[in-house]
Amino acid sequence: MSFLNNYIYYIGAFGLILIGLYIILVKHNLIKVIIGLGILDTGVNLFLISVGYITKGTAPIFSKPGIDSERMVDPVPQALVLTAIVIGVAVLALALSLAIRLYQHYRTLNLRKIREQRW
Amino acid sequence: MVDCLPVLLIVVPLGLAFAIPLFALFWKSAAKYIPPVALAFNLITSLLLLPRALENPVVVSIGGWRPPFCINLVAGPVGILFSTIIALVGLLVSVYALDYIHPAPFYIKEALCGKRGGVKEGATEKYHTLYLLLLTGATGVVLTGDIFNLFVFFEILCISSYALVAYLREKSGIESAVKYLIQGAVGSSLLLIGIGLLYGQFGTLNMADIAENIKSVSPISVFVPMVLIITGLGVEAAIFPLNAWLPDAHSSAPSSISAILSGIAIEVGLYAVVRVIFTIFGASSILLFLALLGILTLLLGEMCAFSQNNIKRMLAYSSIGQIGLILFALAIATSYGVTGGLFQLVSHTLAKALLFLAAGYMIYQTGSLQISALEGMGKKMPLTCLAFTIGAFSLVGLPPFIGFPSKFLIVRAALSTEETIFIVLISLVLLGTVIEGAYFFRVVQVLYFKGEKPNPPGKEAPIAALIPMFIFVVLIIVIGVYPKLITGVLNSAASELLNRLDYIRSVLG
Amino acid sequence: MRRVISILLLIIVALGIRLSLTKIPFGTPKTKVGRYYIEEGIEETGAVNIVTSVVVSYRGFDTLGEVTILFIAAIGLGAVLSTVGEKTVREIEPASLVLYTGCRLLFPLILIFGTYIFIHGHLTPGGGFQGGAIIASGFLLIYLGCRERRISRVASNLAESLGGLAFVVIGLLGLVFGGYFLLNFLPKGTANTLFSAGIIPIIYIAIGFKVGSELAGIIDNLIEES
Repeated sequence: MSFLNNYIYYIGAFGLILIGLYIILVKHNLIKVIIGLGILDTGVNLFLISVGYITKGTAPIFSKPGIDSERMVDPVPQALVLTAIVIGVAVLALALSLAIRLYQHYRTLNLRKIREQRW
Repeated sequence: MVDCLPVLLIVVPLGLAFAIPLFALFWKSAAKYIPPVALAFNLITSLLLLPRALENPVVVSIGGWRPPFCINLVAGPVGILFSTIIALVGLLVSVYALDYIHPAPFYIKEALCGKRGGVKEGATEKYHTLYLLLLTGATGVVLTGDIFNLFVFFEILCISSYALVAYLREKSGIESAVKYLIQGAVGSSLLLIGIGLLYGQFGTLNMADIAENIKSVSPISVFVPMVLIITGLGVEAAIFPLNAWLPDAHSSAPSSISAILSGIAIEVGLYAVVRVIFTIFGASSILLFLALLGILTLLLGEMCAFSQNNIKRMLAYSSIGQIGLILFALAIATSYGVTGGLFQLVSHTLAKALLFLAAGYMIYQTGSLQISALEGMGKKMPLTCLAFTIGAFSLVGLPPFIGFPSKFLIVRAALSTEETIFIVLISLVLLGTVIEGAYFFRVVQVLYFKGEKPNPPGKEAPIAALIPMFIFVVLIIVIGVYPKLITGVLNSAASELLNRLDYIRSVLG
Repeated sequence: MRRVISILLLIIVALGIRLSLTKIPFGTPKTKVGRYYIEEGIEETGAVNIVTSVVVSYRGFDTLGEVTILFIAAIGLGAVLSTVGEKTVREIEPASLVLYTGCRLLFPLILIFGTYIFIHGHLTPGGGFQGGAIIASGFLLIYLGCRERRISRVASNLAESLGGLAFVVIGLLGLVFGGYFLLNFLPKGTANTLFSAGIIPIIYIAIGFKVGSELAGIIDNLIEES
C-alpha cells in the first residue's frame, strides 16, 4: 500500500503514456489518433514533473524574505515542462490543420482508406 | 571575438527569420532574398571558425554562467563541419528557390502538374520563413552541448519540415505530412521520456556532465534511456524500421524541400544519434547491432528503389539506402570507419541535393513524375540532365567523383578491422552498390538513349537554377579528384567523436 | 492482429520503464543543479521566482527555441489553411444579448489579468506563456460571443514579429555589452519589487505579447477555415 502511495504519480504518468501509445497504434480515425497524441504528451509532462518532487516540498518562490529553502522542489523539471507543453500545443495545432485539409481532399478521416501512396 | 561567433551562427538566421514578416509588409518580394543573405553569413562565419575549431573545440556558454549550470555550445570540428555543409547546401538551394517558388501567377511551379492547389500572392514569405527556421534548427542541433537544448532544436527542425512537406496543399502532400507528423511526434515524446529518465538518475542536463557520471555506472542501468533516446532520434534519422514516413514525405514535398530533407535533415538526425551514442553513453555493446541495422536499411532501401517508376520516390528510397551505409560505417567505430562515414555523409549530401534539384525542373517540364516520361530529355535540357547524370554516378561511387573515395574509405575501414562479421557485411555493401548502379543507369539510359518521341517537351532550366547545380557539380568533381582537401577536417572530426574524455575535459575544464 | 502486436509492444515498454524507475525514487532530492539554482538564484539573477530565473536566465536559450517553435506552428498553420480566391460569405447568426454583453464586459478584464500575470512573472507564479495564453482566451471569447469581430491580421503579424525580434535583440545586446549572449546586463535592483531582475521582465513582456497574438492568430485561422 505504501508502494502505491509513493509511486502513484509514476503509475499515473506511465498509464497515460501507455494509453496514448495504444490509441495511436490501434485506432483508425485521425481525430482519435490526434487525441491519443495529446494524451501521450500529457503523460510525458506529468512524468517529468514528478521526477522533481521532494516529499512535503513547497514551490521555489522566495515570497517572503527568510523563507526556508531546504524543502523547495526542483525548479528545473518545471522549466522543462513549460517548454514541452508549448511544443505539444504547436504539434497539435499543426496536426489539426492538416486533418482539416485531409478531410477536404479525401472526404473521410479513416486512416485505412487514406492510402493513395503505395509502393 | 572568436568566442562569440558560434552563437551568431544560430542567432542571426533566427532574428532574420523573425523579421521576414516585417520586411514583407514594406516590400513584397523581399522575402526570397533574406535566406540567401542569412546563409551566406553563416557560411562565412563557419569558414572563419574552422581553423580555430580544428585545434580546440570552442566552448561558448550562454548567459555568462559556468557549465554545467548553463547551456553551452561546443563548436568543435564536427560541429563546424556540419554547420559549413548546412550553410553551403542551404545557400545553394535558396538561390534555386528564387525562381522555383513563384509568387505570381499564383502557382508554385510543381503544382502545375495537373493538380489542384494554388498559393495566394504574397504567401510565399511563409515558405522562406519556414525554410530559414529549418536550417537554424539543424545548425542548433549540431552545435549544442546540452541534451534538452538538443531536443528543442531538433523539434524546430522537425516541425518546420512537417509544415514544409504539406506546403503545396495537394492530396499527396497532406497525407504524407500527416503520417510524418504522427510518427515524428511519437518519436519526440519517447526522446523526452529518455531525457527525463537521465535527468532523474544524474541530476544534470549537460552532455559532458552526464558523460562524466555515466563512466562510473554500469551500462545496464542506462540501457532503457539509451534505447528510448535512440528510438526517438532514429525516427528523424530514418533508421529501419522507423523510416516508413520517408518515401512519402520526400516524394510529395516541393523539390527544393526534398533536397534539404534528404540532404540535411536526415543527416542531422543521424549526427544526433551518433553524438548520443559515442559521447554520452560511450556504448560499445550496441554498435554491432547498429551495424547490422545499417546493412538491413541499406539493402531494403536499394531493393525498393530498384522497383520504382516514380523518380522522386526512387531518390527517396536511395536516401534510405545511403543512410544505412553511413550508419554502418559510423558503427565500425574505428578512426577509419568514422572518417569514412563522415566522408560518405558529405558525398551523399552534395549528390542527393543535386539530384533533387535537377529532377525538380525535369518534372516541371514534362509535367509527370514517371521515369518513362523523361525519354529523350537529354537533348532538350542538356545541362540539367548532365548534372543529374554526374550526381547519379557520384552516388554509385564511380571515379573521379566524390562518391569513389568515400566508399573506398569505408571498404578499407571494414577490411582493416579483421573481424569476419565486417567482411561479410562489406560484401553486402558491394551488393547494394551494384543494385544502386542498376537503377541509376536505367534512368540515364532513358534520358539519353531513348529518343523515340518526335518532340519531347521542355526547355532548359532558368539561370537561377543552373548556378547552384553548376557549383554542386564543381564541388563533386574537385573533392573527388583531390580528397585531401577535406580529409584533414574529417580526421579531426572523427577523433572528436571517438574521444569522450577530450570532450568532457574541454567543456568542464 | 495489430492489437495483439501493439499490446505486446506496450508490455515490453512498460516492463523496461518499470526497471529503470527503481533508479529514480519518488520524493527524494536528487539533483545538484537544482540545488545550485535555488541557493544562488536570487543573488545571481535577482528574480524571486526561481522557476522564472531558470526559464529566462539560466536556460534562456531553450525559451528562445520554444518561442520559435510556436512561431513555426502559427506560420505552418497559416500556410496550410490559407484559402485561395473568393471567400464564401456566410450568414453568421448573432449571439443573444446576454452573451454579447457579457463577452464585451469580460474582455478587457481578461486582458488586464493576462497582462498582470506576465508583468509579474518574476515575482509570482506565472510568466510570459501563461499570460499570453490568457490573453488569447480573451480573444477566443470575443470570437464566440461577438461573432462578426475579427482581429486585424496586420496587427497580429506585427506583434508576433516584433516580440520575437525583441527577444533576439535583447540577447544580442547582452552579447555587445558583456560578451555573452543573453547576459543580464541591466541592474538587478532589490528583490521582490516590480523593477528588479534586470532583463527578465522585459523578455517576459515581449514573450507575453508574442504568444498572445500568435495563439489569437491560430484561432482566427481555424475559425476562418470552418
